[in-house]
Amino acid sequence: MASATVDSATRTLISQVQLNRRHGKAIYWTVLTVVLVVFSLVFIGPLYFMVTGGLKSTQEAIQSPPTLYPHHLHPSTYSTAWGELNLAQLLENTLLYAFGALAFQLVFDVAAAYALSKLRPIFGNAILGMMLATLMIPATVLVVPQYLTVLNLPIVHLNLLNSPWAIWLPSVTSAFNIFLLKRFFDSIPQDLLDAAAIDGAGPVRTLCSIVLPMSRPILAVVSIFAMVNVWKDFLWPLLAEPDPTKQTLNAGIYSLSQGVSENVLIAASAISAVPTIIFFLIFQRNILSGLTAGSLKG
Amino acid sequence: MTNQPLISRRVRRASALLATIALSLTAAACSSSSTSTGNKGGSGSTASGVTTISIDCAPPTSKPVPYQQWNADIATFEKAHPDIKVNSIHTFPCETPALFTAALAGGTEPNVFYTYFTDKQAVLNANQAADITSYVTPSTIPVLNDYLPSVISTQKSNGKLYGIPYTNYTMGLIINRKLFKQAGLNPDNPPTTWAQVATDAEAITKLGNGIEGYGDYSAGNNGGWHFSAELDALGGSMENAAGTKANFDNPLGKQVLQNLHDLRYTDNVMGSTQLLAWGTLQKEMAAGKLGMYIAAPDDITYMVQTLGANYADYGMGPIPSVSGQAAGTLSGGNDYMFNVKDTPAQIKAGVELVDFLYLTQGQGTFNYARLKATQQAVGLPEPEMFSGATLAADNAAKAANATMPVSDFTSYLDANVPGDGEPSDAQAVYKVLDTAMASVLTDPNANIDQLLSTASNQVNEVLSNQ
Amino acid sequence: MSRSGGSALLRETRRNLTAHAFLIGAVLCFALFSWYPMIREFITSFQKVRGGQTTWVGWHNLNQIVHDPSFGVAWRNTGEFTLLALVFGYAMPFFVAVVLNELRHAKGYLRVVVYLPVMLPPVASLVMFQYFYNPQYGLFNDILHSLHLPTSTWLQNPSLAMLCVVIASTWMNMGSAVLIYLAALQGIPGELYEAAELDGAGLLRRIWHVTIPQTRLILSLMLLLQIVSTMQVFVEPFVLTGGQGVNNSTTTIVYLIYQYAFNFQNYGAASALGLVLLLVLAVFSALYVRVSRAAEQ
Repeated sequence: MASATVDSATRTLISQVQLNRRHGKAIYWTVLTVVLVVFSLVFIGPLYFMVTGGLKSTQEAIQSPPTLYPHHLHPSTYSTAWGELNLAQLLENTLLYAFGALAFQLVFDVAAAYALSKLRPIFGNAILGMMLATLMIPATVLVVPQYLTVLNLPIVHLNLLNSPWAIWLPSVTSAFNIFLLKRFFDSIPQDLLDAAAIDGAGPVRTLCSIVLPMSRPILAVVSIFAMVNVWKDFLWPLLAEPDPTKQTLNAGIYSLSQGVSENVLIAASAISAVPTIIFFLIFQRNILSGLTAGSLKG
Repeated sequence: MTNQPLISRRVRRASALLATIALSLTAAACSSSSTSTGNKGGSGSTASGVTTISIDCAPPTSKPVPYQQWNADIATFEKAHPDIKVNSIHTFPCETPALFTAALAGGTEPNVFYTYFTDKQAVLNANQAADITSYVTPSTIPVLNDYLPSVISTQKSNGKLYGIPYTNYTMGLIINRKLFKQAGLNPDNPPTTWAQVATDAEAITKLGNGIEGYGDYSAGNNGGWHFSAELDALGGSMENAAGTKANFDNPLGKQVLQNLHDLRYTDNVMGSTQLLAWGTLQKEMAAGKLGMYIAAPDDITYMVQTLGANYADYGMGPIPSVSGQAAGTLSGGNDYMFNVKDTPAQIKAGVELVDFLYLTQGQGTFNYARLKATQQAVGLPEPEMFSGATLAADNAAKAANATMPVSDFTSYLDANVPGDGEPSDAQAVYKVLDTAMASVLTDPNANIDQLLSTASNQVNEVLSNQ
Repeated sequence: MSRSGGSALLRETRRNLTAHAFLIGAVLCFALFSWYPMIREFITSFQKVRGGQTTWVGWHNLNQIVHDPSFGVAWRNTGEFTLLALVFGYAMPFFVAVVLNELRHAKGYLRVVVYLPVMLPPVASLVMFQYFYNPQYGLFNDILHSLHLPTSTWLQNPSLAMLCVVIASTWMNMGSAVLIYLAALQGIPGELYEAAELDGAGLLRRIWHVTIPQTRLILSLMLLLQIVSTMQVFVEPFVLTGGQGVNNSTTTIVYLIYQYAFNFQNYGAASALGLVLLLVLAVFSALYVRVSRAAEQ
């Protein structure tokens, strides 16, 4: 019975008791197997074909029916894709943009969300409202005026085109991240902060020693969103970095898609996918726990 | 508490980062590229009197041989002109619509920038092209007087010259000689009527193994582009003479679409992969899966350079028509324009550079000996823009270094189909016609009359908004 | 300290100054890259640019886009995409999350696998899908063929094209939704299931009466987010079908905006259409704000 009470707190839709019955066990293992097979096929299968497609000759890559594995290995396709398409450069650019955007968002957005949530300045709500209003504007709609702005920043008259700033600074305008952070900070009890204030801690101290350590889960979520947004963005980086040596992976592969044979294109896609997969596998624990630790009470 | 030093370190690092912003922004502003605005008359020229010019459409690293040849040419040019520094922008494709449009909106084109003939109006509307009339003379561009009038006129507006053309093409029919032979056809006798195209394509399709006899575009504005070419061949034209009204909702337009629909669904020679844009037919042709398609000769260069094809496998005939004597064919080409903000010194240097790279016998693109030595294609009937002594000299040099049987193009050259320029607001018009092309190639029950009248209305809409 | 009134005002001022100092970075970025372009966008909707000359044209641009035959088509497609994306990109991740939450083994592996596609550069994923959808040498037709099922032309079939785009898009983006739902599911107290079970509720009734009500908030938030973000879809159709597809079968409103701006250089029309889309999204966003407000209480 003791186990049953433990179970009642941690159980899910189906109780452990049910699963322990023979009938339940059989069903459970069947479902588990089916899920494992289907998921592996659906999510890993395509990657397999992407990687092996790059190893095929041009002829074999567009052969009907497709071959399950490369009959003649052509690893040179990969070296062609890597060497001639400047993938190293594209990858480096994309990482630079992604990490820079992450740094800017962590500094500016966290500071702003903290101010809006805990310091409650005058006009704070109006500012938050104006920020949230930008959520409903499709990025594509703003692309042209944004481009003209980056080209010639009002007042200071700087041209940010072809510089990482053209990606870093606009990435700060992620109202969704500010909104998430603010909501999380709101849930931090005010008396904790008051206690810190009585101890003579200023707002910066309070933020660093109390708020941030408590917000690790949400910071993880925001960081992932920040990185993934840059990683996935297509049209803006294409326009903001017209110089081919400053392009992102997405823009680079898109430009390529018209100029190389199918197998080189597939190889290039595979190469661009690999570093992310490795990055993800190394940090998967932090990423996934970050995504789920901010347990969203429904 | 363990993380407190970490945090404050992070904050310190962040503030250091912020502090560097100001610095790097100033640096960025100072080192801003040569494409920057010419607000200080001397932009692009330094105290030492060196003029810096940027030029785009340099070959990308993915084309190693042209890439090296370009760099070698630029080095030679800079040696001969110590007062000029060239910034090459290696791009492929040379023009991406979104980027090009954005550059026009912001005035951020390179000093010397690549355009299609059809972009002229857009560039002028955006007020981005420098008037180069006084810079282009027989002394700066020696071949000037040998340009075909129809080619040089594409770059003029109100009597002023805005661009220097360096390629011109007229569309014909590229055939896969290898597949022609395999199918028992005579590759020296490409089809000239649509009926012959259908017969030959059927023979080629019968080879099986995923091989298609004929291919055509229906996406990426290329569908409309080919519709226009095929309409020209029948003696029609996309627009009225003034370029204010659509002119294809008639029996000729219907014939173009009906013919393609028949090739796809009655003769079954086009395969189920449709919705193709530029680059796809070339891939199929280079992979030995396609018998014929309509294109300009430079497609063969592309297939050889980029897709590793073998130029001996291709030949060309004139664009097919009903009678076998095409009334006309679509012509088009590329040119270099000059940013409106260029200084006179930059325009001068740019004209000199374009002349050196693209318009001088035995140099740059005309360095046939070097092209032959690096197994590039020599002997294609291009660029079709000269007459007189220049043409004669070019033909002689080409014949001397030909890397392919020039006879493969006899049929195309002998037909000598006149080139019709592209319609006004071409890209927008082509885009509209993509829809009609896509329908007849993917819908067995396409309603051609309705497609044409819809397209006609849309084109009228586009033209009325000019 | 003695003149508390004065010092209170001073404190108040200082607090405000500090707070705005914290805000300044984000506010500046918003002002430069969001608010200012928005105002510019609004102004451009009523202007026309020709030969470097800008003129006011009033309602001309709006009039033009409403009379463009693509306008209705694009709205229909955007609606179709949104609906399909709700079925695939909204309901499916929830179902998957519920199943995953029940499994006691290989949890880590399954999560990694589901999230993997989210980490890929979208253009690379789309290039891959294009390769699979190819009617002649694509994997999908090969699978159907080997199962003796009829093959299809996929992206080239106007009635299937949008579905193909949605499938690719779901594969690419589903991971995030699954993980967010999983987080919500883990927050459901087990006692509730216990109680439901004692009342004799079967599996489906437990889902209906416990799981869904307990995750209602996150479900409704995700619903709105999904609608607002799918209405802005661009890169998927752009890469897969070149944007418009056969018979404009994949032309969405955002692609139409792109076309006006970048193919026809008609910024006035592009901006006007942007405004129209903005008004529609504003309705959904207002709902979103209301729901999240209710959630905070």
